[in-house]
Amino acid sequence: MATILLEVATPDKGEVFAKDINMLICRSIAGELGILPKHARLLTELVPNAMRIKVDGGETLLFVSGGFMEVTPDKITILADSAETPDDIDIDRAKAAYKRAEERVNVAKSKGDAAIDIGRAEAALARAKARLLVKGVPVD
Amino acid sequence: MANLQHIRRRIRSVKNIQKITNAMDMIARSRFNAAREALLSNIPYVTKTKEIMRRVVGQMRGQEFEHPFLKTRDELIAEQQNANGKFLFIVIASDKGLAGSFSSNVFKSAHDTIEYDGTDDGTSTGDDDEDENFHKKNFDALAAVKPVGQRSQKQQRQMSATGGMARAGAHKGGGGQGGGNIPVAREYHDADYIDGIELITVGRKATTHFKQRGYNIIKSYHGISERPQYKYAKEITDLVMERYASGEIIDVTLIYTRFKSAISCVPDDVTLLPLVTDDFVKAGDTLKEEYIYEPDTVTLLDKFMPRRLATRIYGAMLHSAASELSSRMNAMSNATDNAQELVGRLNLFYNKVRQAGITNEINEIVGGANALE
Repeated sequence: MATILLEVATPDKGEVFAKDINMLICRSIAGELGILPKHARLLTELVPNAMRIKVDGGETLLFVSGGFMEVTPDKITILADSAETPDDIDIDRAKAAYKRAEERVNVAKSKGDAAIDIGRAEAALARAKARLLVKGVPVD
Repeated sequence: MANLQHIRRRIRSVKNIQKITNAMDMIARSRFNAAREALLSNIPYVTKTKEIMRRVVGQMRGQEFEHPFLKTRDELIAEQQNANGKFLFIVIASDKGLAGSFSSNVFKSAHDTIEYDGTDDGTSTGDDDEDENFHKKNFDALAAVKPVGQRSQKQQRQMSATGGMARAGAHKGGGGQGGGNIPVAREYHDADYIDGIELITVGRKATTHFKQRGYNIIKSYHGISERPQYKYAKEITDLVMERYASGEIIDVTLIYTRFKSAISCVPDDVTLLPLVTDDFVKAGDTLKEEYIYEPDTVTLLDKFMPRRLATRIYGAMLHSAASELSSRMNAMSNATDNAQELVGRLNLFYNKVRQAGITNEINEIVGGANALE
């Protein structure tokens, strides 16, 4: 089966992921994307999401908290703000963060609280949600 | 004749200093390990950002896509863009001293770059990545874009006022001057020149150094030099971008210390803006392949380019932190060694003095006994 090299780098942890893979499914600001080998050249910005990486029939998940993705026919490079494998994620902390972010978004929406930056709150919620997804916790 | 108590006191004080320098050495050592780790894990990200940026910029230029970020300096100059802007320098040094010549090396390099007058070409750091252009290299081009008429007149006045004080150099005049030789004086006491310069300093040492010399510091960051954080690099980037977009600055140069190895850290200066150097132009000629940009080219560029800038600044901060700590490590272990040597010499001296005293006493006793007989 054809493969494509996927490299994920972050500013603080170096190269988090570097492997030949079969398919990558991720979410950019323009929507969900599936990248197969020999994809056309592409540059896009990613939103916080749980990326699905298909290798040898199996599938692994990787959390990215936004960043940029460049695709060339034989290589995908992701410059992520941060990236975490399921092992890196502390489930209790992720759950707590999710609850907190959810409350903030709700408060901001219902009361129109000026102290809460709704954009930031929603980004935090999206991150928390993606983290939980990577960990395999169902989120409504 | 030195007395014993005096020497004892000196030995004790040297030993105390040695304890302190030794402790500082160990602290620097452990922090250095963390800083080096941080630097090493940052490097892949920086290189990848650079690669992507080269490909993308090359491709976009190949497609003759127009965007302010994609123009080289020559093109910006031709369009007189930001022509009234100032030069911005970002100087990254340390918060604390006791790091040998770390800070002064940075300042030397900074003054070299900032006060460059187009004449001496001795000290340019040559062995660098090919895409990192230097303020110095661009001097002629910059002198051309600055409103040469006004400036040089002012500077000529300044020169006649300061007489031989000002270093005057003739360089090829560009722009509207019709190729005449324009003397340029660039000394830190040259008020006109300082007017055209802005500084962002990282590290308390850098701030005090440049403040004393009358530079215009628009922002300084303290307390982060040993453990840089990305958010500060982002803050600096936002500030720089804002000023660049509003035409207040024409050129951004970053001066920091590049960490090569634990024993070799060299000051380095790189041009941050304009982003595109001649090198990219060449790359653009070779890469004609089509890219897909999502959601669209302008949005993406507006987001990606500041990111590249912040990445570079953050990288430089990490380089600087590792360099600072390794310099401090070296300085402190040298100090400890010196103290050790000094204690040895003082001990020898102490024993000699003590022995001399004993010999003296014996002589006196023997002399006294002889006199009694």
